[in-house]
Amino acid sequence: MSAAHTRSDGNVFTHLLGELGDHHGFYVGPYKVAELPIILWDNGQLHIYPSSAAMEAGRLYRMEQGHPVRVTDGQKPTLDLSITNLVVYQWIGIALLGLFLWRSLRRYRQNPLEPPRGLQNAIEAIVVFLRDEVVRPNIGSTGLANGLLPYFLTLFFFILILNLLGLIPGGHTATGSLAVTGALALTAFVVINGGAIATIGFKKWLQHLLGGGPLWLSPILVPIEIIGMFAKAFALCVRLFANMTAGHIALLSLVGLIFFFETVLIAPISVAFSVFVYCLETLVAFLQAYIFTILTAVFLGLASEETH
Amino acid sequence: MELGLAWLAAGIGVGISVLGAGTGIGRLGAAALEAASRQPETAAETRTLMLIAAALIEGIALIACIVCILLAVKTA
Repeated sequence: MSAAHTRSDGNVFTHLLGELGDHHGFYVGPYKVAELPIILWDNGQLHIYPSSAAMEAGRLYRMEQGHPVRVTDGQKPTLDLSITNLVVYQWIGIALLGLFLWRSLRRYRQNPLEPPRGLQNAIEAIVVFLRDEVVRPNIGSTGLANGLLPYFLTLFFFILILNLLGLIPGGHTATGSLAVTGALALTAFVVINGGAIATIGFKKWLQHLLGGGPLWLSPILVPIEIIGMFAKAFALCVRLFANMTAGHIALLSLVGLIFFFETVLIAPISVAFSVFVYCLETLVAFLQAYIFTILTAVFLGLASEETH
Repeated sequence: MELGLAWLAAGIGVGISVLGAGTGIGRLGAAALEAASRQPETAAETRTLMLIAAALIEGIALIACIVCILLAVKTA
């Protein structure tokens, strides 16, 4: 697609994965629009460069396959904390969400008695649906459900807007990166276990690790329950990442068929299937945001149950 | 030779995991449809339960696919 992106040894699959990954610099589609700062933490020292050109000029690091490496030994720095493409897309998502939600909030403040209109109506419908169908029925304790409602709403809207930003032509999907979904799953892990400890107490939370079995089975059950605790968060992370990536790979492969066969005749088939996959992806964008939210709620509900 | 075997394993592995996931989601969908048509008043609840179970099946299939991807992108 573009020469600026990473291209490794001719394997189409790794190439596509590279295209979908994170980049240094702000991209719209395959075009680099702006340089972004590069922040490296290496051997106890912080290096900050305004752009990759400035980094190359500094003679300490150089770009290799799209990632900074040391000039001296060709190794990666200890920590790459750069502002990357997907970080910017998350900021765009946050800004758009802030704008939409703030406008709805202002309308409620100004005319509290008028029926909601337009975008405000859509947001209200989603919020009421999440509250009444997702959060409250799945979390047993009402106090916990009401207290954590803002978290679940944030989770849903944030994932949804990132998924949809990736579907706009030229947009990049931040949720198609394991780092982003991993961080989201980490918040879910903290909320699930923290919420459970806050509701039923540390002792009962520990008793959950027995899985309801007798004490002599604990050597088998406790490791399984502990693995299960982490597996839930891991599955949340992988599910969102794989769903968003799979759709993009399907789209790129279908368009890639034209170049593979080097004929225009294949184009109608490719375009028709691409439109179909695109519609499917729009559905998946909403569905995965919903699934992530409801599964977090269900896991929290299971973890904060009083009795087994 | 070994690289070729890794790609073969990835192909066979993804086929088998899709077979399992397809069977699971198919049975789940059939059961949910049956439940919803027997008791249309609980259709919304059935749909939610179906989606949760589908997501769990999908999670396992995706982890299997990740293993296959790791095999497919194996170099050296």
